[in-house]
Amino acid sequence: MSAPSTNRQKSHSFQLLAPGVVWMILFLVAPIMMIVYVSFWTQTTFAINPTLTLDSWRNFFSSDAYVGALWTTIRLWLIVLTLTFLIGYPAALFVGLLVKSKTVATVLLVLCVIPFWTSFLIRVLAWRPMLGREGAINILLQKAGLIDSPIEVLLFSELSVIIGMTQIYVVFMVGPIAFMLGRIDRNIIEAARDLGAGFGRIFWKIIFPLSLPGVVVGAIFVSVMVLGEFATSGALSGRKVNLLGNIIVTQVGTLKWAMASVAGVVLTILLGIVVAGFLRIVDLKREI
Amino acid sequence: MTRSDPIFRLDGITRSYGPLVALDHIDFTAENNSYIALLGPSGSGKTSLLRVIAGFEKPDSGRIWFQGRDITDLPAHERGIGFVFQNFALFPHLTIFENIAFGLRNGPVKVTEAEITERVRANIEMVGLSGLEDRSPDQISGGQKQRVALARSLVMQPKLVLLDEPLGALDANLRERMQTELRAIRERLNVTFLHVTGSETEALAMGDKVAVLDQGRIIQYGTPDEIYDSPNSSDVALFLNRYNLFDGKLQNGTFRGSFGAVSVPAVRANERDVYAVRYDRTQIFDTETAALPGPALPARFLASEYLGSSIIFLFETADHKTVEVDHHLSFGEPREMTVGQDYILSWDPEQAIVFGKEMAR
Repeated sequence: MSAPSTNRQKSHSFQLLAPGVVWMILFLVAPIMMIVYVSFWTQTTFAINPTLTLDSWRNFFSSDAYVGALWTTIRLWLIVLTLTFLIGYPAALFVGLLVKSKTVATVLLVLCVIPFWTSFLIRVLAWRPMLGREGAINILLQKAGLIDSPIEVLLFSELSVIIGMTQIYVVFMVGPIAFMLGRIDRNIIEAARDLGAGFGRIFWKIIFPLSLPGVVVGAIFVSVMVLGEFATSGALSGRKVNLLGNIIVTQVGTLKWAMASVAGVVLTILLGIVVAGFLRIVDLKREI
Repeated sequence: MTRSDPIFRLDGITRSYGPLVALDHIDFTAENNSYIALLGPSGSGKTSLLRVIAGFEKPDSGRIWFQGRDITDLPAHERGIGFVFQNFALFPHLTIFENIAFGLRNGPVKVTEAEITERVRANIEMVGLSGLEDRSPDQISGGQKQRVALARSLVMQPKLVLLDEPLGALDANLRERMQTELRAIRERLNVTFLHVTGSETEALAMGDKVAVLDQGRIIQYGTPDEIYDSPNSSDVALFLNRYNLFDGKLQNGTFRGSFGAVSVPAVRANERDVYAVRYDRTQIFDTETAALPGPALPARFLASEYLGSSIIFLFETADHKTVEVDHHLSFGEPREMTVGQDYILSWDPEQAIVFGKEMAR
């Protein structure tokens, strides 16, 4: 190809990319840079000025409350991620592979999405009358004679946050996995059976590896949403469980912009590491 | 086992999907160490039959016997019957080597690593794929995928391999090469191949025996030349795609059709009265010709198809029926003809096959 036409092609691709690049710079890169910048500003009780300092960073990492929130975030994320996988995978296996009729599979997936017809906050708050001291679960267990006094730990504890988050986010695990499972050629599974492999072997050697891209996409969805959570933990823990998200909300609420920015940068880095880690497991480009 | 012992036997196999009867009381016995072609039009139940034998589906009634054992209730992975899928069904995330090794690694019998390597290498060599062991299935061609699918079944040393239209996904050139190769591989390994196909040329070329399947029933089973030369019903003649079939009426040993009345020496029992003449036994004459070998059928010349070794001439009769004439070029150059002009088609009545409700003499 001659040089001028290569140049023309280059300028064409630049023109096509330009709107997207400008948009991303204005609304993604610039704000993130701004947050990083603000995290180094000097914070006084009621004001903030752009004199650069490491104080906020030092405060964050020397405070048990903030570092504790970071660890709580990581711990809850791992627990919720594991639970959504353990609950979501069998459900996806049923919808995507075991249900033979495409119509039934679609109906089941739509059923999974029905909770989303109500607002996020209502879905979270609906857990309170379920889990509370006088809530549905305690009443049922007492009526059944399984317990004498109500289980206190059900609501306003880490457990209630885990239950709430798992219920809300499990569908984001089911969807991508069911999609990948649905794409598996049934003949491949029959070929494996014909070669003498039992169900367990077929699952671990054929079905699971082929569904792995779905697991990774689902895990990224769940991780991104859980790591940034603040509403579920706020509403279901009675403010006892503080995640990085809750720190940011509180700091912004008291106009502590520098500290909020530090927490924001830490959260962004954590998210980046998690997503990059998941993308190393499978080459998603090959699957699309 | 000698060749005449049956490798598998079907005993009144019936399978229906709702109101649709896919397999209708099939009784069938297959000789050991042979190549059996199963010919049928689409929808005749040939894939259903294969899936029932492989164990992917259960028959509604009837028994399946394999090497003298009743395997009807045995799950597919315990049957030891190989299956080659039409779309090959290779494991997309495994290399060619691991695809072929899959059954040895995950099958019911424990096989040592050294034996796996040796058996897989031997099979890769046999199907001519040496050097491609570490490729993934999306990095090889259709013909190579076909070989991998075959090697993957054969490495398990089955006594019976079911092939579901194995050549359907290949181009014509490759198809012919694979035909010869499939036969050669089978002869070397002392196994029975049951090859399902919708192509009559493939069935006749490949099978030691050909079974013709129609509407869930095996309507004829025999060697390719038995099937070709003497189809036992007008349906078989139709599937062979080598016969001009004329409807008419058979009465007292005389068949009346669009070509007049012909006296018939022998009749095969059939549900309808049909007069069949092979394409290559039909001859073309000018309208004035007096000395015809048999009945005279006026027809208009439509077109010709050059096939290399022969030419197919297409004619249309007065009642808008297409009649084909196959002229083999080893019998000399074909006559010059004008499209749209009328000619007379004739044949030796001795060479015609007549099917009828009435069994004459």
